[in-house]
Amino acid sequence: MSTPPTSGTRPGGLSAKARTRIAAGTFLTPFFVLFTVAMIIPVCYALWLSLFTEKQSGLGFDGPRTVFDGLGNYASALGDQAFRDGFWVLLGYCAFYIPLMAGGAIVLALLLDTALARARRFFQLALFLPHAIPGLIAALIWIYLYTPQLSPVVKAMESGGIGFDFFSSQGTLPSIVNIALWEWLGYNVVIFYAALQAVDRSLLEAATVDGAGNWRIAFSIKLPLIRSSLVMVLLFTIIGSLQLFTEPLILNRGSGSAVTSTWTPNMYAYSAAFERNDYGLAAAASVLIALVAAALSFVVTRFTNNRKEARA
Amino acid sequence: MSRSWSRPIHALVGAATALAVLTACGGSADDSPAHGTAEHPVTVSFWAWTKGSQEVVDSFNATHDTIKVKFEEIPSGGLGGYPKIANAVKAGIAPDLLSIEYPQLSAFVSQGSLQDISSYLTDDIKKKFLPQTIEMTTLGGKNWAVPFDAAPQVFYYRKDFFTEHHIALPKTWDDFRTAAADVKKAAPKTRIATFFPDDPTFFQALAWQAGAQWFSAGKDAWKVDTTDPASKRTAEYWQGLIDDKLVSTASSFSPEWTSSLKQGTTVGYLGASWSAGVLAGIVPEEKGKWAAVPLPSWEADKPASGMVGGSTFAVSKNSKKAAAAVEFALWMSTHQDAINARIGASTSSALPASPAMVPIARKAFDTSFYGGQDLYGLFTKVGASIGPDWVWGPSPGATNSALGDELGEVVGGSSTLPHAIKTAHDATVADLKKRGLKVEEPS
Repeated sequence: MSTPPTSGTRPGGLSAKARTRIAAGTFLTPFFVLFTVAMIIPVCYALWLSLFTEKQSGLGFDGPRTVFDGLGNYASALGDQAFRDGFWVLLGYCAFYIPLMAGGAIVLALLLDTALARARRFFQLALFLPHAIPGLIAALIWIYLYTPQLSPVVKAMESGGIGFDFFSSQGTLPSIVNIALWEWLGYNVVIFYAALQAVDRSLLEAATVDGAGNWRIAFSIKLPLIRSSLVMVLLFTIIGSLQLFTEPLILNRGSGSAVTSTWTPNMYAYSAAFERNDYGLAAAASVLIALVAAALSFVVTRFTNNRKEARA
Repeated sequence: MSRSWSRPIHALVGAATALAVLTACGGSADDSPAHGTAEHPVTVSFWAWTKGSQEVVDSFNATHDTIKVKFEEIPSGGLGGYPKIANAVKAGIAPDLLSIEYPQLSAFVSQGSLQDISSYLTDDIKKKFLPQTIEMTTLGGKNWAVPFDAAPQVFYYRKDFFTEHHIALPKTWDDFRTAAADVKKAAPKTRIATFFPDDPTFFQALAWQAGAQWFSAGKDAWKVDTTDPASKRTAEYWQGLIDDKLVSTASSFSPEWTSSLKQGTTVGYLGASWSAGVLAGIVPEEKGKWAAVPLPSWEADKPASGMVGGSTFAVSKNSKKAAAAVEFALWMSTHQDAINARIGASTSSALPASPAMVPIARKAFDTSFYGGQDLYGLFTKVGASIGPDWVWGPSPGATNSALGDELGEVVGGSSTLPHAIKTAHDATVADLKKRGLKVEEPS
């Protein structure tokens, strides 16, 4: 390509097909470079790291040496009750959070869809606003709202005769579900609402003419038509739940609550790496979390795709 | 298949090469002489978060030609400073000199992150420091750090509250319990002090004071015992105070804690020597109302104290300028200009580990918040009673995360302190064994 093309011929004298290919390649290169640097290399490095462990001898003041440990770190992670308990915490969190989130978002989106045109914008903004706040800040705000003696919320509850300790071992799960709902509900409402807007209005008119009420329209027409959005939201919510980290970490650090340093699997990996300096164990735990996420995503997409084919 | 993959593979190879080049640059050796010359000074890089560090560095650079210091402030250890240091050492880009607290020192030594600086610390130099602080920076017979301060635990209290309600100042822990009950009786929402559930070193300092010795290095094996009689006694005592709601259980420096100080519903603070400056910064409006006394002891005629934190300067494994780094560290710890710069220009109330520096610190620190009390006289007295036998184990991460998790449950009511120290013990022993260290269980 160093010689300039002679006049009259196409640049480089390439066929249209080849040029399309080059153009596609040029546009895709940044993606592949980023994907490689940000995804493939770290994943390979984590896999590599997870196979080694550091051993010391005597009193340990001579420094560690790195030894090949095979699947030893995986065995340690799986054999550690704290790591396994993390998945139970997640399961409890999902059982609590996903129905509330998906159900709440759908109900709000349906209400928005039927609401007055002017009120819509206001509600949309009001619901979406919390999502604009980073999880870290949200957690800090909520810690303040949960702290006895400081919080107007706790004070109001107490004057109403409700005593609830948000930091106790029973209180932590609802506390964190509440923070996550606050952050993500509006986001999902907007997704559902956008999908509802795309529903063909003539269908709804036809249904109304046929005598269908609002409930009937919602359940028999609108919901089936936004199924794909529902699947997407479910998938993102499940993967997001698996990565539960920031909010409980802040609660662990800042409040003296019953959230432990290994409360979720992600926190376990963090604690292994940065509190106990066991990078091999942290890498193994991270790989295991990624495997669970991959398996769950597969199940969710597979399950919903089958349903779609069966319907078609 | 092969065609669609060729592009990402090229990209991967390219990126890997780029990374290799980058790391090679970062790790390049510096061949400059140890002390440099006035024209070509050697530059020592230094990471710390302690108050007044910038002022100290400025003062050093203003008075030295052959060594220059490049300072970078990092987050405090508990808030991410230690992971940052550990990662930097792993990546080979750690600065020459690091600020590390006593409890974490053995962890960094056992990970091979630090350099043995024994050859620079001659006996004459060691004599300049409190023996306890030299003891705590000597591991396996080698010196690993230059001590900066000692951090004896003392009891800060609201003088006005204690006087107004005629509450006697506690000399022993029995007195302390009585005083705690009196405070609660005088003002039902007010507590004498706070048991910090988020900071395991707070409880460890109390156990240390009682005479516990959680770790000791034998000939080739560690002895671990976090459930000895002194620790148990401390655990049961504090469990009683927590159960009877005689102390608050807010986290240290949390909004809840600071607001209770501002509202006057917490009238005491079991802090360290460095806390004097911190406290004055949190509630400046209570100027003149606070004072400090020695920590209550178990027996009236046997004063004792543990340490909460306290910092040292250590040379990283990556450093090629150990001599210059140690020289700067010693200057920070034992030169009056350094003490003046740190304590005069900031709110630091650190007790220098070098006794000769104490009069300088005393002069530099503004004690008007404490009604002009001679705090450094108190710190010196209490500092001499620091239990000399305490050693930090090689795996404080495992010990402290297990203990910290349990402390959260202790104040939530689902665990107890005696159970917490047992859990910490088991977690520590398991971690040491996993690392391949030998552990001797207490007989």
